[in-house]
Amino acid sequence: MKARTRTHAAAGVLLTPFFVLFTLVMVVPVGYAVWLSLFTEKQSGLGFGGTRTVFSGLANYTAALGDPAFREGFVVLLGYCVLYIPLMIGGALALALLLDSTLARARRFFQLALFLPHAVPGIIAALIWVYLYTPQLSPVVDAMEAGGVGFDFFAPEGALPSVINIALWEWLGYNMVIFYAALQAVDRSVLEAATVDGAGAWRTAFSIKVPLIRASVVMVALFTVIGSLQLFTEPLIINKGTGSSVTSTWTPNMYAYTAAFDRGDYGLAAAASVLLALTAALLSFAVTRFTGRKGKKA
Amino acid sequence: MSPSWNRTSHVMVGAATALAVLTACGGSGAQDEKSAAPGSGGKPVSITFWGWAKGSKEVVDAFNASQKNIRVKYEEIPSGNAGGYAKISNAVKAGNAPDLVSIEYPMLPEFVSQGSVQDISGHLTDDVKKKFLPQAVELTTLGGKNWAVPFDAAPQAFYYRKDLFKKYGVEVPGTWDEFREAAEKVKKADKKARIGTFFPDDPSTFQAMAWQAGARWFEAEGDTWKVDTTDPATTKVSAYWQGLLDDGLVHNNASFSPEWTNSLKSGGTIGYLGASWGAGVLTGTLPEQSGKWAVAPMPSWDGKPASGMLGGSTFAVTKDSEKTEAAVEFAQWMTTTEDGVEARIASGTSSAFPAAAELRPAAKAAFDAGYFGGQDIYQVFEDAGASIAPDWAWGPSTGTTNTVMKDQFGKVSDGGATIADAVKAGHEATVSELKKRGLTVEG
Repeated sequence: MKARTRTHAAAGVLLTPFFVLFTLVMVVPVGYAVWLSLFTEKQSGLGFGGTRTVFSGLANYTAALGDPAFREGFVVLLGYCVLYIPLMIGGALALALLLDSTLARARRFFQLALFLPHAVPGIIAALIWVYLYTPQLSPVVDAMEAGGVGFDFFAPEGALPSVINIALWEWLGYNMVIFYAALQAVDRSVLEAATVDGAGAWRTAFSIKVPLIRASVVMVALFTVIGSLQLFTEPLIINKGTGSSVTSTWTPNMYAYTAAFDRGDYGLAAAASVLLALTAALLSFAVTRFTGRKGKKA
Repeated sequence: MSPSWNRTSHVMVGAATALAVLTACGGSGAQDEKSAAPGSGGKPVSITFWGWAKGSKEVVDAFNASQKNIRVKYEEIPSGNAGGYAKISNAVKAGNAPDLVSIEYPMLPEFVSQGSVQDISGHLTDDVKKKFLPQAVELTTLGGKNWAVPFDAAPQAFYYRKDLFKKYGVEVPGTWDEFREAAEKVKKADKKARIGTFFPDDPSTFQAMAWQAGARWFEAEGDTWKVDTTDPATTKVSAYWQGLLDDGLVHNNASFSPEWTNSLKSGGTIGYLGASWGAGVLTGTLPEQSGKWAVAPMPSWDGKPASGMLGGSTFAVTKDSEKTEAAVEFAQWMTTTEDGVEARIASGTSSAFPAAAELRPAAKAAFDAGYFGGQDIYQVFEDAGASIAPDWAWGPSTGTTNTVMKDQFGKVSDGGATIADAVKAGHEATVSELKKRGLTVEG
């Protein structure tokens, strides 16, 4: 009895900091966003007599959902996810397997070199890439044009690949390190057994190593999905720095940002954010459920 | 679920880089700390001022040195469209705004209608108001109240490379028809060179040209807003610029972007349709081209002088400031005293054209016209200022109008939209925004 009470007390003490922080930085802001999303600022006359805040129910939600710009943001996100996620997971996995293979030389060097881009803050990375994408400024674009393969990185069909390229550059090394660490933890005797059984490098990689690090792959997939939904910094820098087809409402996150800070409509911004958060929650749920079930079958 | 949550474990790696960047950017704020130390006599009122106009720091220093009653602390923020306005409205929302802020004419009604700035009618006497260009006072008077102290009138002006114009045998255009001919000649003489630039990121340049042509996008009638962008003047300007773009006679680059600057440096862009403050921009951006530039009045439709206003700063007191009197006093010092104007222009980075007529000789004297080969550029501004079309008003939702127009302008370069489409989209977004706010609107 006494021991149990003590355990409870210990649990309480140890968990308190978490719940305090969780409430402060998570529950309260989310609650505030939901609260904000239920109100609209109304004006009268010519609008110069100040504003009054009016409860508007779900009007901000219907306004956001009814705005083609907001819906188009989700279409852009969908395209981004479809292209980016396989490239990211596949690329990071391939690099990790290469590093882990017996063929690899200078492992530490490549590990560091591949990870290095991630150490560059996203904003800086985006600025560097915008420079590399800009015609007449970028040596890359000039070289491409000289070689007869001109490509407009800011055109409607070029914008998505441009942004995906930046994101890949930033995150590929990071995810590769996660996979590589997982691969390092694979029991060497299992791999030796596979070799003894006559499995070649390919067979070992895909039939032994990848299934053994499935948990890491699922985790990275989940993080990547959530990260993708929050696509913001890179396209915003492109939008601010150039006159391009990346509009100020290109992704749902940018839509919320523009609504709040360029248009001063905090209610609409809050509603858009809540809708995006709900989408993210649903998707994360779907990803974990889907991959979890697949795991049980295997 | 913050965007960078799965990065936290690597904070240490990024911290060094981030720190280096922060220290590199954070210079200007810290330096002002010293000059804002309390004065010796009495208890000075301390106010904070946010702005980005060239020479602001010099003005603040001069003001602090000139008297002991008010201490101004200047904090430089990004220019309005580059995030400065977002910063201001955010600070007001959060209740930690500075006392005085810079707001350009087009955005002032937006800030007033959001309730972010104070009515300062009681602090501005008629004698002070009389000093300013009437259009500048009109643009800062909304609903019969004064909301800001106007600083500069920003008449449009055309800057051009006189050496290259001469070399290519191009006459300085007086009308828009001549401007097109000149554009063709420039392109013919050097297939990479263009006479000017369409700025897709800056609808206010386009709006100034519509204003110049006689458009009136916003009109307040009683309690009703009339929005009209389908007038003949706007249609004419849209079609004209669409034609220039379709025929490749002007570049399509973001304003003040590295792309634009680079093109100016290499002689790929040999003209700039800007405003009075643009002379300071050129001086600061392209010091190596000193002596090669000249200023001409904006081309007009009928050859008679005509101008809109492009940008132009005003100073407004934020909603919650309790130091209105001190803030307005400082704003008046900046805008109506010779010392204030001289301090700004002597910084060598500003070519502001004061809205207060009596200060223009002082501004002219303080400006080093060497960059323009000694040309009397203030006379050009003076004439242009006198030709600013009256009766233009800015609507109360410039944030929405311009964001939407900018998004559409961005699609113009690859044919995804036309200038006319962008104007239409801006119009529709404006009308629906005003309706959403509960205002009566026609258009």
